[in-house]
Amino acid sequence: MDKITYRIKRFDGTREWFQEYTFPYEKNKTVLWGLIKIRDEQDPTLNFTSACRSAICGSCGVRVNGNAALACKTSLDELLEIYQTSTLTIEPLSNYRVIRDLVVDWEPKLERMKEVKPWLIASEEKDLSLGFIQSEEEFHKISNPTDCILCGCCVSECTQHSTNSQGFYEPFIFTKSYRFTIDSRDNAPSQHLTPSLEKGGLWKCVRCMQCVTKCPKGVRPADHISGLRKESMGLGHQQNKGARHAYAFYDDIRKTGRLNEMTLPLKTEGLTKTLSRRIPLALRLLRKGKLNPLHFPRPVQGIEGVRKIYRLVQKEERS
Amino acid sequence: MKYAFFPGCTLEGAAKEALTSTQKIAEALGIELVELEGWTCCGASHVQDIDDLLALSLNARNIALAEKLNLPLLTVCNTCTLMLRSAKQQLDQTPELKDKVNTILGQSGYTYSGSSEVTHLLWVLLKNYGLDNLKKKIKRPLTGLKVASFYGCHILRPPDIMGFENSLNPQSLEKLVEALGAENVAFEKRLDCCGFHAVFPAEQEVLKITGLDCLSAREAGAHCMVTPCPLCQMQLDMYQPDSQKQFKETLTIPVLHLSQLIGLALGLSPQDLGLGRHIVDTHPVLEKILK
Repeated sequence: MDKITYRIKRFDGTREWFQEYTFPYEKNKTVLWGLIKIRDEQDPTLNFTSACRSAICGSCGVRVNGNAALACKTSLDELLEIYQTSTLTIEPLSNYRVIRDLVVDWEPKLERMKEVKPWLIASEEKDLSLGFIQSEEEFHKISNPTDCILCGCCVSECTQHSTNSQGFYEPFIFTKSYRFTIDSRDNAPSQHLTPSLEKGGLWKCVRCMQCVTKCPKGVRPADHISGLRKESMGLGHQQNKGARHAYAFYDDIRKTGRLNEMTLPLKTEGLTKTLSRRIPLALRLLRKGKLNPLHFPRPVQGIEGVRKIYRLVQKEERS
Repeated sequence: MKYAFFPGCTLEGAAKEALTSTQKIAEALGIELVELEGWTCCGASHVQDIDDLLALSLNARNIALAEKLNLPLLTVCNTCTLMLRSAKQQLDQTPELKDKVNTILGQSGYTYSGSSEVTHLLWVLLKNYGLDNLKKKIKRPLTGLKVASFYGCHILRPPDIMGFENSLNPQSLEKLVEALGAENVAFEKRLDCCGFHAVFPAEQEVLKITGLDCLSAREAGAHCMVTPCPLCQMQLDMYQPDSQKQFKETLTIPVLHLSQLIGLALGLSPQDLGLGRHIVDTHPVLEKILK
């Protein structure tokens, strides 16, 4: 391959267009190298942000062929191989207001992040006597969420956020919420967690795993959402659809080993809502034989062993 | 070829046609499926929200059942595959966790060793069976059928757990569809989510997501969608009439299980493949290929 073409989405404040830039191919380069080369050699009006070139500052997140990537960490050779092409389409991260070209507006996101109070709320009394000592085990719990560099790649293809940006936090906000909720040095976990539950749509995550896939630092926001759900139930928030849905699976497996699809809506939504909202769906399914009201899963072979696992896990966790 | 078969809860219930069509095509291809006795629900991405050690232990037990048979474990559900592979990865990479889980399993008669691979029907057909061998079995090439191949999230993501192919531009499903004689259509939502796992707590958003997926396939000119995940199939098919209420454009498109599309190409009857059990009428698909 002699040449590479970047097809870049431009925006000058009023007008959007795609502009193509072609330059000689070089081995072992990054997406950011190409952007800098274009700005230095072809078009000084091209706007993008970057600083450290070492995947530390988090400022060069862009979308390449529809997928968020940190430009300084993303190998051009790998992308050309994956897409079998010499032309890449570069756009600003999705789910952000675009300021110019590839530059997006972080201010509303950072304002929103403050809702989960992403800082330690320490107990003065406790900390005066013990200091901020953390065990290795306690540190490991916050190690992964602490790796977040706020590059924003996790938001770009987030399925729920793309559909419902006002009702669902950006994945990195859940990560911050989790990181401070479970920090052993913090003395006010509910102040970090409750906003995720009440404003952030904690149970609305569809588990598409885009956030985990797109994070250039190996941070796992979807796992942190799971962790926050667990913490929220531990704080007594069990009477919501998400928690009741999870418990339907938990209880069915203990009872028979398998899910009972017939009782799932009842357990999740309650009798009134199921009767008022689910009748058309239920009739559709009954007509096609997809729902069998007489099918109740029988306990699987070895169910006593399964129940014993429940008891032993609980015992292990208590110890 | 012989596999320990993990059907997953959906195939026992609303997606029984996926169970029968999987069994029928396995028989036609000469792949022996031995259903695991005593398998339990994989947790469906929900149980770990309550207790991650429990979810891990239950799936360690499921894999241990396959290990007892000395067979690799085969699933046909994306989420089951992810849950089982996720458990396997944690256990294989963290010896202390494996010891802890084995202490729990040991008291109920099981041991997890890590000897059984966890795989999916799609991967087995591509990697182990081979498309050339599959082509030799085709009796009714799906010529003229335009298919929108919808992967579903959990057969691709997260890539460090799934890893069969690059998650940004996978090709396995398209290659398989092409081998069956059908034509792939390019559509924007081929790697998107169906929304299934939040259909209760986020119903309106999920119905929109589902509708956008169907619309994308339909507007690209597909006669049907095909998916290797019974949960995606349920979401895209069962909830299509509800999604339609959010859209002015017509969404209607049949959604087939991968095993059904393969079965049609192998010459199996629509009845055997349960094509009458769909919410969205599958006759337009059949009319294209049963000429």
